[in-house]
Amino acid sequence: MKADFDPVTLATPFFILSIILEIVLARLGKADARYEPKDTAVSLGMGLFSGVAGLLTAGVVFACTLWAYEHRLFNIPMTAIWAWVAVFLLEDLTYYWFHRISHERRFWWAAHVNHHSSQHYNLSTALRQTWTGGVAGTWALWLPLAFLGFPPAIIAIQKGISLVYQYWIHTEAIKKTPRWFEAVFNTPSHHRVHHARNAVYLDRNYAGILIVWDKLFGTFQPELDAEPCRYGLVKNMATFNILRVAFHEWIGMAADVVRHPRHALGYIFGPPGWSHDGSRETSAMIKARSNPVEAAGTTRSPAGPQGSRA
Amino acid sequence: MDEAFFVQLALSGGAVAVLVAIAAWARIAKPAGPLDEHKARGILEYEFPGRTLDAIWVASNGAGALAKSGGMALVICQVGDGFAARQIPWAQAISASFKNGKLCVDLTDISAPRATLSLPSWPPTNLAA
Repeated sequence: MKADFDPVTLATPFFILSIILEIVLARLGKADARYEPKDTAVSLGMGLFSGVAGLLTAGVVFACTLWAYEHRLFNIPMTAIWAWVAVFLLEDLTYYWFHRISHERRFWWAAHVNHHSSQHYNLSTALRQTWTGGVAGTWALWLPLAFLGFPPAIIAIQKGISLVYQYWIHTEAIKKTPRWFEAVFNTPSHHRVHHARNAVYLDRNYAGILIVWDKLFGTFQPELDAEPCRYGLVKNMATFNILRVAFHEWIGMAADVVRHPRHALGYIFGPPGWSHDGSRETSAMIKARSNPVEAAGTTRSPAGPQGSRA
Repeated sequence: MDEAFFVQLALSGGAVAVLVAIAAWARIAKPAGPLDEHKARGILEYEFPGRTLDAIWVASNGAGALAKSGGMALVICQVGDGFAARQIPWAQAISASFKNGKLCVDLTDISAPRATLSLPSWPPTNLAA
């Protein structure tokens, strides 16, 4: 669903120019960035066709949003400043829970995993977007905003603003922003943690724009100097085949269900890595193996095991 | 979908091609270098912590490695400038096809279909069972 004012479309030239800038600065040794051509091609290819894939379910999303808005509880004017402040906060809160469920339940992870499938962390990684988000149905999480009375256009614009904001934080070129900014907003440092496969960083920092949600709900982890980020998946992909990148988790999940139909619910709605016989590892199991004390919750603070550096 | 959509898609595709070409020109991939036994053991220790390695074979071109750990084979294969790791039953590794100095190991994983390792010979005669 697109409003007449679409932040993503407007930002597309910025996306292209900033990737070129990041590459050239890295080439000149002025910025920390790594690009591998095949990896870059997959990331940009996923981004290119994610919009096309989104069109397949756009009609359903639009119809459902319109239906929710027609049954709205309140009339919220699009011209009121308070409405924009409210939608900013509520949309960002919705994004946090969308993102969290997309990591903690396999059905939705199947749609989101491709965004994390690169072993690189650069601006092109930001564009490695899902092809199956519409099918996964996570868009339904935004319906309550329309039901509350926010016009669909205001929701679409805010979602676009959030997506554009999250673009620039996919970089190693920016180390830390000012302390006050790190404390409130999602930053390159916070999001590097989110993309890392180190045990201590798994399932952390789900924020869209405001990192405060992670601090509020106990999922915040600062980037640690002693633990450099290793990017990618717990089990990294061994192929650049874009179709495998887009669909591998769906196929793996379907295969598990066919092999073990009695445990279908666990394989679909359990955490990624869940298995009926314990032969695989979830993030929680990896964390427990890596740091049993923290995993038991005996010393853990919302700021993480070594306290907040933000 | 109107004509403008396809024009926009084609232009975006062109932009993607240009960006990939610039990334290739820049040569700023990770300086990983070929694997030696020390590096391979380091990767295996990170990917499979606590596992004991009975034996290890590193590909002659440094693009992968295979280790025996009890009844399992731990496999590393190069992916671009990074590596991916999987484990499979040792018997499966032993029966992998070996032709012209290339061992092709079926990793039976949709996200890691196979690993190809350059080795002087396979299977190892003393560990084939």
